[in-house]
Amino acid sequence: MSGFNTHLLSVLVFLPLAWAAVGLLLPAKEGDPRSPLKIWAFSGSLLTFALSVFLYLEFSTQGEEFQWLETLSWIPSLGISYSMGIDGISLWLVLLTTFLMPLAILASFNAIEHRQKEYYFLLLALETGMLGAFVSLDLFLFYVFWEAMLIPMYFLVGIWGGKERIYAAMKFFIYTMVGSLLMLVAIFYLAYQHKLQTGTYSTLILDLYKLHIQGEGYLGAQSLLFLAFALAFAIKVPLFPLHTWLPDAHVQAPTAGSVILAAVLLKMGGYGFLRIAFPLFPSAVSLYQLPFMVLGTIAVVYGALVATIQPDIKKLVAYSSVSHMGYVILGLFSLNQIGVTGSIYQMLNHGVSTGALFLLVGMIYERRHTREISAFGGITRVMPLFSVAFMIVTLSSVALPGTNGFIGEFLILLGSWGTNRVLTSIAALGVVLGAVYMLWMFQRVMFGPIQDPLNEKLKDLSLREVCVLMPLVIAIFVMGIVPNFFFQKMDPAIQRFLNRSSIGLASQPNSVPQTSYAQGNDHGSS
Amino acid sequence: MEALKTIQPDLLTLSQDQFNCLVPYFTVFAGTCLSILLSVWGAIKAKWPVFLVASLTCLVAMVNSLVLIQGTSQSLFNGMMVSDSYSHFFNLIFLGSALFTIFGSFRYLDEEKMQHPEYYVLVLFAALGMMLMTSAQDLIVLFVALELMSLCVYVLVGFRRNDRKCNEAAMKYFILGSAASAVLLYGAALIYGATGSTEIHSVLKFVQDHPQSLNPIFGLGFSMVLFGFLFKVAAVPFHMWMPDVYEGAPVPVTGFMTTGLKAAAFGTFVRVLLAIGYGKGISSAIQSHLHDILWVSCALTMLVGNFIALTQVNLKRMLAYSSIAHTGYLLLGILSGTRSELGFAPGVMYILIYSAMNLGAFVILTLLSSEGDSKLNLHDLSGVARRHPWLSFAMSVFLLSMAGIPPTAGFAAKYLVFYSAIQANEIPLVVIGVLSSAVSVFYYLRVLVYMYMRDPVGSPPVLRVSLWSGLAIASMILITIEVGVLPEQMIDLAKRVVLSL
Repeated sequence: MSGFNTHLLSVLVFLPLAWAAVGLLLPAKEGDPRSPLKIWAFSGSLLTFALSVFLYLEFSTQGEEFQWLETLSWIPSLGISYSMGIDGISLWLVLLTTFLMPLAILASFNAIEHRQKEYYFLLLALETGMLGAFVSLDLFLFYVFWEAMLIPMYFLVGIWGGKERIYAAMKFFIYTMVGSLLMLVAIFYLAYQHKLQTGTYSTLILDLYKLHIQGEGYLGAQSLLFLAFALAFAIKVPLFPLHTWLPDAHVQAPTAGSVILAAVLLKMGGYGFLRIAFPLFPSAVSLYQLPFMVLGTIAVVYGALVATIQPDIKKLVAYSSVSHMGYVILGLFSLNQIGVTGSIYQMLNHGVSTGALFLLVGMIYERRHTREISAFGGITRVMPLFSVAFMIVTLSSVALPGTNGFIGEFLILLGSWGTNRVLTSIAALGVVLGAVYMLWMFQRVMFGPIQDPLNEKLKDLSLREVCVLMPLVIAIFVMGIVPNFFFQKMDPAIQRFLNRSSIGLASQPNSVPQTSYAQGNDHGSS
Repeated sequence: MEALKTIQPDLLTLSQDQFNCLVPYFTVFAGTCLSILLSVWGAIKAKWPVFLVASLTCLVAMVNSLVLIQGTSQSLFNGMMVSDSYSHFFNLIFLGSALFTIFGSFRYLDEEKMQHPEYYVLVLFAALGMMLMTSAQDLIVLFVALELMSLCVYVLVGFRRNDRKCNEAAMKYFILGSAASAVLLYGAALIYGATGSTEIHSVLKFVQDHPQSLNPIFGLGFSMVLFGFLFKVAAVPFHMWMPDVYEGAPVPVTGFMTTGLKAAAFGTFVRVLLAIGYGKGISSAIQSHLHDILWVSCALTMLVGNFIALTQVNLKRMLAYSSIAHTGYLLLGILSGTRSELGFAPGVMYILIYSAMNLGAFVILTLLSSEGDSKLNLHDLSGVARRHPWLSFAMSVFLLSMAGIPPTAGFAAKYLVFYSAIQANEIPLVVIGVLSSAVSVFYYLRVLVYMYMRDPVGSPPVLRVSLWSGLAIASMILITIEVGVLPEQMIDLAKRVVLSL
């Protein structure tokens, strides 16, 4: 049993890939609707989920910083090791990933008819990449997973995507690649610095935290390194003005691809900031705090405004991601406990609600083969179940109290109020604009008379589709009503994060009381 | 100045150890002679016997070199040649490259109706030339070996005798290659004039003894040797010949050139650079001068190679430009070799890995090409993945590896080179390098786009993968993935090999 425990994370990470490799051996006929592959892939992702739930149950808040630590020497001549571990932040992101993957697979059962073998293989391989990036404690290993993740996503968008899929896949890949290559240079520079300062090479994140990196100023060594990492992460988040790959990739990707892209891949960026960029370069962070908060605010408002005028539902949801992820940046760079907690919570929320939105859009697209808002109207009459689910998810996305979205956005605004009031006031506009574009879209799609006769015969959700949506709807309410359940496990990790990241911020006004959310859900459902 | 060494008879006889070190060379030479005999023997059909003899020769010599790679350095023939880990490491690359070129060409030659046994003989002879070249300790021996290799390859390039493009390529290559050889030889002559020796240890000793008093003739000679090598490795601005030659030559020959020839040129380049005192012993004025030349050439090579490759639609030509770009990364490895802890190990490792993945890619191209090397444009690959999933998978691995995506060997090679360049404080070059390699992702991925994401056009014939080609592809895949996932062993080997220099 001890062997199982010490390698638990490796098992978790590589289980999907191994499962997928076995799946390649299964017989599959081209276009077979009853292919055993589907069940195989689904059960693999469920098993992974079960394993991560086990991790959650065993995770102790009192324990060490990183649990299930696993460190093996990998490339000793460069100080690179294979090191994995999990803390209160990555735990939730791992759970988010494993929770959404079965749903994404279940949602693809009817949508994907061709080349199923490759499709399910790539989805599971993608899961390995994502989990690996979340649990890596070695910068180099992180980079390997970060890059390796691109390949399955590239194929998922490029093979099963919409009309402009090739353009979108290419753009996605190259955008991410440009950012991450500079990150690679920065990683080597750090390893070399470690060598200069301590005499040995290391790319272990915990070792690098102890480094003191010289070079102050906006273009000093520390700032340049920070910017190299920040570029990679900002592209992934994506932060305005680096977001242009996102609408293309999201719209063109198949439903499961959009779900994973929005729900998990975008979180990679936020996670990178949390785990790497902030704790490693605290003084650069304090220098660049304001510019990034400005960019975050612009993203919030700009994303919302652009989303308002989109004629295509999927594109609207894509731009709403830009807006929601802008909040995450705002909260992170406010550098206080409330803001950071809100950011992490918002990442999880966004995964759940935007994932659900993409699933819903996918379901209606399968029925009508269009996503134009103007093609719909009066859907409530023919698809009542679908409409209810859509409404709950919409309300979560506009941050109605009682749903998860409210907690995240509220905490972020509360946190950033303590850092910069002007920007917070502008960003708060995003909440209003969010309500505008989501509800307006909802109204045009769902209410009114049925104008297009094609819409009259739409079938309501099947049992399978209800099974896909139900867990998400439950998650929306649970996260909205008992947020403390989630905060408990995050808290120690966030404390450590703040201790490392806020050197040089001693004079930072921190007027917001630290306990306002810890009292329970006093601002929860009312 | 030291006069010409008088030849001492006792140095010309070989001791048992020395003889053992020469076994790979003898093997290849004997195999070559046997192949020639077999191919002119009228009584038999020469195809199979020559093929088998040539393959076996390579294999046996490879095993020998593999044993010898662990051994100590042996100076041979009055210091004209050396057998050390470095030379045997490169022998492995050359022989492997020759072996898999032979495997890849076997059916190709049948299909192209040019199954002449000379082909195998020429490949073996070229490999022998390469082996001698990286073992040479004397500029004259080096030149002879270089010519042995080059002449064989000139003929191989023009092997499709009736094809105009092919003849053009051979002619171009011959004229430009001879000019470059002449420049190199002239440089060697000038170095002899300045230092009184062509033997590279004596040259090095002279340079180290007289760091300040080297006359301009030495600088000129050094520069000419440098330019000669930059031409051979096709670094910008000496790269003009390469795309035409690569496009005109038969596909497997192009594969052989990108791997064996390039590795030979680079392997010798490093040896000669060190021998003339690069990084140790040379006066700092000349050193910084040389560094500047290499710096500019390296930056240009990475940029030009990658940017021009973007616009290519012919796969052979695209890989030619990508090969130029990889030359840039190799130059980066060499440039930073003297000032980083890993030394030349990253560069040497890059050569091996590049050879493996490029050879694999060219074996696949050989399979894909149809008569007269046509059908190698991007759109001819449309939908190949539907008909040939395994072949497409292999091609994807090689291309992703060339693009430097983990977890492939190409990634390992690239990060080592960048790592050592950062240690050598060449950060601007590293930034140019990574950004240009982000550019390269586009053209490598475009091939995958055609293979996987486009629908097939028309009904192209189903390809038959011969056993030999399959074997070649499988071995290359194995190397590409194994080194990518667990690079430590390879790094160790490269370090050890470089130590023997």
